[in-house]
Amino acid sequence: MNTLLSFDKVNAYYGNAHILHDFSIDVKEGESLALIGRNGVGKTTFVNALLGQAKVRSGSIRLGRKESARWHPYMPAKEGVMVVPQGRCIIANLSVEENLLLGAATGRKGYWTVPKIYGLFPILRERAHTPGTALSGGQQQMLAIGRALMGNPTLMILDEPTEGLAPVIVDQLGDIIRQVNEQGTTILLIEQNLHLVARVSRRYLAVEKGSVIAEGIVDPEQIEQLQQFVVV
Amino acid sequence: MLGISIFNGLVYGSLLIICASGLAMIYGLRRVVNFAHGALYMLGAYIGYTLSLYLNIWFALLLAPLAMGMIGVLLDKAVFRPLQERDPLSVLLVTFGLLLVIEDLVRAFWGRGSLSIEVPALLADSIELFGNPTPLYRLAVIGLGVGSMVLIWAWLRFSRTGLYVRAASTDPLTTAMMGVNTERVNALVVGVGTALAGLAGVAAAPMLSLAPSMGADVLVDSFVVVVIGGLGSLGGALISAILLGQVQSFGTIYLPGLSAVLPFLMMIAILIWRPSGLAGNRV
Ligand SMILES: Nc1ncnc2c1ncn2[C@@H]1O[C@H](COP(=O)(O)OP(=O)(O)O)[C@@H](O)[C@H]1O
Ligand SMILES: [Mg+2]
Repeated sequence: MNTLLSFDKVNAYYGNAHILHDFSIDVKEGESLALIGRNGVGKTTFVNALLGQAKVRSGSIRLGRKESARWHPYMPAKEGVMVVPQGRCIIANLSVEENLLLGAATGRKGYWTVPKIYGLFPILRERAHTPGTALSGGQQQMLAIGRALMGNPTLMILDEPTEGLAPVIVDQLGDIIRQVNEQGTTILLIEQNLHLVARVSRRYLAVEKGSVIAEGIVDPEQIEQLQQFVVV
Repeated sequence: MLGISIFNGLVYGSLLIICASGLAMIYGLRRVVNFAHGALYMLGAYIGYTLSLYLNIWFALLLAPLAMGMIGVLLDKAVFRPLQERDPLSVLLVTFGLLLVIEDLVRAFWGRGSLSIEVPALLADSIELFGNPTPLYRLAVIGLGVGSMVLIWAWLRFSRTGLYVRAASTDPLTTAMMGVNTERVNALVVGVGTALAGLAGVAAAPMLSLAPSMGADVLVDSFVVVVIGGLGSLGGALISAILLGQVQSFGTIYLPGLSAVLPFLMMIAILIWRPSGLAGNRV
């Protein structure tokens, strides 16, 4: 299978704070991968390194056919990698629909269009013309996912999408993420909620102190074995 | 008398809104307090002067803003972008330096004497409006102010690029993450903002005499407009430009001794009433 995204021994910094240590990861086309780990181990820094927001001093990042140590934040989207950022980052002065249109900025064509997103999340159609940040937390997360899908990604990275959401909504989002994966979009789910990981992901990587320390297949029956990587 | 004052206030308000909306846009995207904006207004007027000598005033009104737009894009790439990680105060000082450089360059090219541009023949007449003789050119300046505002509003509201501009003004990183090359958006906006300064300058030129220092008053008034309007907000700037135009127009007649400080008094009064300006939000 093709590798969509790979980090090879990446060392990433904020200023002089060394956060990622020889961080390596391979994301294969079509898979549904989870990146798990406690707060502060460097999961979001991995995303930031990809977006050029954390400084990569050694190692390389490869996206599709492109390889570089210095990515600009707008480049991954052009290569078909859309991010659902931690905290959702819905743009306050844009309506729900405008937030969706922003996701189509690369002009990549594919299955996803505004009506398709409304089909997936009917509530967004009802609230199309309200400011994006007027939605509830769960609805904002739907909007963030819809916005990322509008870029017709080959890979969608979700950074703790269920943080602060009610369990019913978590299950609902989990089903949708799985459905998106089954339609062919590769998923990289960054999570601490193992219940969601069991529902969505088939492979996991565990992060500790800025490095990947374990990996394996997700067995939904024995998900509690992964507890050691997320509990404090 | 009253009618003429209101009218003149509207003319000045129109120039102000063209100039100040450029300032507001540049602040909204780049977070740069651009002290050179008045000098760019002045440069637009001088470029317009030369174009009107060699071509005619209509070409000047069209080409001077275009030339200023290109200067703006260069300004963004050569100055604002390299300085974007620096603290706002040093960027402010750099723009202050730019102001001095532009004024010196203009003195070197065009001399110190005051120059003037003829009102275009087509608009040289006056018409009766509410019983007052009203110069057509001044009326056209109001039209230009209204027209530019409608165009900018429609551009921001309905075009794709306008969407990116609005998004980048609140959350540049997320906007970029969605695949928008925000550096290009920034360069475009600084270009448009500079073009607007140039447009205001060349439009004002036939109503006054050109001097290298002519940007100073407009700069101060534009800052007042932008601050009163709510930093970076175009809607707020529109209202405050109309207000300030009236305050200036009536002030010079009824309170001539105070006319220099009136804009500041107005700014203080409004900021006490609404500390974040008339409109709190961005672009
Ligand atoms: N902008 C920043 N500047 C400096 N340190 C940061 C910054 N953001 C995060 N950190 C630090 O980097 C480490 C990893 O953070 P992060 O990648 O956000 O963790 P996670 O997403 O796994 O919870 C933490 O110790 C955090 O304090
Ligand atoms: Mg995180």
